[in-house]
Amino acid sequence: MSKIRMTDDRMDRRTFLKVTGAAGLGVTVSAWGVPKLLRAEPAPIKIGSVQPATGPLAVIGQGQRRGNQMAVDYINSRGGIQSLGGAKLELLLGDSESKAEVGRSEADRLIQEGAVMLIGAFQSGVSMAIATLAEQRQVPFVMDVAALDDITQKGYQHVFRLFPTVSVFGETGVAYVKQIITEKKVEPQRAVVTNTGDPFGKSQGENFIKWFEKSGLPIEIVDHITYPLGIHDLSAEVAKIKAAKPDLLFPVCRPGDSIILTRELHKQRVPLMGIISPGSPGWYEPKVIQDLDKLVYYVMDNVPWVYPASPVYQEANKLFQEKYGTYLDTNSGYAYAGILVSADALNRAASTKTAALLQALRETDFKDHPMVGKAVQFKENGDNINAATAMVQVLPDPDPNRRVKVVLPKEFAEADYVFPAKQLWERE
Amino acid sequence: MDPHLALQLIIQGILLGGIYGLIALGLSLIFGVMGVINFAHGQMMVMAMYVSYWLFILLSLDPYLSLVGAAAAVFVLGYLIQATVVNRILDYPEAMQVLPLVAMGLILENMALLFWGPDHRSPQTALSLQTLWVGPVMIDVSRLIAFVLAIAITILIFIFLKKTNIGKCIRAAADNRTGAILVGIDVDRIYNTSFALGAATTGAAGVLLLPLMPLSPHMGHDFTLTAFIVVILGGMGNLIGALVGGLILGLAESVATLFLPATLKQVVSFSLLVVIMLFRPQGLFGGKK
Repeated sequence: MSKIRMTDDRMDRRTFLKVTGAAGLGVTVSAWGVPKLLRAEPAPIKIGSVQPATGPLAVIGQGQRRGNQMAVDYINSRGGIQSLGGAKLELLLGDSESKAEVGRSEADRLIQEGAVMLIGAFQSGVSMAIATLAEQRQVPFVMDVAALDDITQKGYQHVFRLFPTVSVFGETGVAYVKQIITEKKVEPQRAVVTNTGDPFGKSQGENFIKWFEKSGLPIEIVDHITYPLGIHDLSAEVAKIKAAKPDLLFPVCRPGDSIILTRELHKQRVPLMGIISPGSPGWYEPKVIQDLDKLVYYVMDNVPWVYPASPVYQEANKLFQEKYGTYLDTNSGYAYAGILVSADALNRAASTKTAALLQALRETDFKDHPMVGKAVQFKENGDNINAATAMVQVLPDPDPNRRVKVVLPKEFAEADYVFPAKQLWERE
Repeated sequence: MDPHLALQLIIQGILLGGIYGLIALGLSLIFGVMGVINFAHGQMMVMAMYVSYWLFILLSLDPYLSLVGAAAAVFVLGYLIQATVVNRILDYPEAMQVLPLVAMGLILENMALLFWGPDHRSPQTALSLQTLWVGPVMIDVSRLIAFVLAIAITILIFIFLKKTNIGKCIRAAADNRTGAILVGIDVDRIYNTSFALGAATTGAAGVLLLPLMPLSPHMGHDFTLTAFIVVILGGMGNLIGALVGGLILGLAESVATLFLPATLKQVVSFSLLVVIMLFRPQGLFGGKK
């Protein structure tokens, strides 16, 4: 009522009618027995999640959605956002179909439906499109997973990222390779890099080569093979890999092509010391582990990873397993963490206004996440200062859900790594 | 250039081309008889793959054993689609025929997503890792079996069309619909059978692909496009053309890897399509209209 300010202390006829009308309506509604509407709990705060829920990355996209949704449910079960009167979070769902233009229009739709923050979008290309939109519409965009450096190099004010950038991947990946060949005293001479042709795959592959050549390792990259995302046959590519006679293979994959690649390496008998991914999905997903079985053993992957010893992970993972029957992996873990960080910012901002949210996000210092790495803190450009990768390896274990182990860095390691690995066709 | 690599690529390309041919055969048959382009073709193939996958997971039935069952399931699906949808749109302008079939493809794709989820499924079958070696050149056993069966099925379809009563009726209805009606052929039923047969061949091709590539709900679209290119390459409605077109496309895609980055694979197939359209718009084996 304080908003009704009379210019001359006298209520004019119109205002009088409005006020009495509104009051009357209120009374009527109460009389109808729905007083809840008037004393309603605060309206839910909407967060728009754009993930590749259908299309070639649908497996991961659904996992991302689940990660986002489970964190929302977790926050709500803990009483919502305290500083906003316990307002509940509501996740609005968008589907990028793995296409940048679709991701952008979906994000736009979610903003129109009232999203005060955006989260997503797994692919760098899609994230880039959404970042530009977020900047135009002045809606904070928290990227749970997206690795391309460029996204945060444009001076955008509304864009934040939890995930390590491609540069971080490259630098740490090469360092791990160096550590492995030094510790195991092996001398690989030749290597082949493969990657998918989408922005993530390309930049991940090219960037790895860049850091690799900078490192002065005495290994020659003899071939670099790029193939389209969603490819159905890799026999020709593997024939080329074999002809290049590599000792090491550095593949950047996705769940579909990693299976074709590994089986084809087996069929064509390509001898390798090891398969070390510069950092990509396709090696640690439960379906991949199950379908490839022994063939995926000893594959190493330089990825941001969950920290199984942390209580946050254990709690989230338990819920995730109960609900979806699979474990919380890197990607869904980051999807989960992304919502926790967003909720933390909302809580400290005590507002859903963009300016306050941006301020709160910039001041983020969030420790209680389920990943390997220190507290989430954002740099000026929006990147997470403490984003890190671990080297994981698929190791034999009767329980397929426990086969992926952190092996490097040593302080987070759950097991010792095996290198060089037995050839694919020699495994019993 | 490494001669072993070239030989390896040629063999792999030809073997995969045989399956492309079988997928396209169904599309070509449907077009040849009814003049309808089945834009749900790849999705129907995926349905057969899921049926076969299910039989493998639930009953441990190897895909080669469930081939007939899965093809039969898609036969029924094709029959129903023709009877309920396609027969009603035969006399519509071509642009209007496209939409119900594209819609059918989307429905099938999303049904697969609903029932089986988005995962890539690629169970290891008994033969999926078996190989034969001829000197330094590897022959993938499941690819070889797929090729041989694809050729065998193609020959069976030919014999069926030439020798059996229904086959003759199908050819009659394709030649002259009015004439076929006049001599007492139940053309609607013949159409149903033709569409079902086309669907069943693509279903069979799908099952042959199961040991070779991971199955996911969204892969159908790519194969509709592949089949479409093959059919145009060989000549719309020409069954020999479908087989030869398949072999050419498989070979071209595989050998192109020698000279071009794999990302340009689709450029190869579409360039082939454009060249054919420019110089032989009726396709390699198509007759003059």
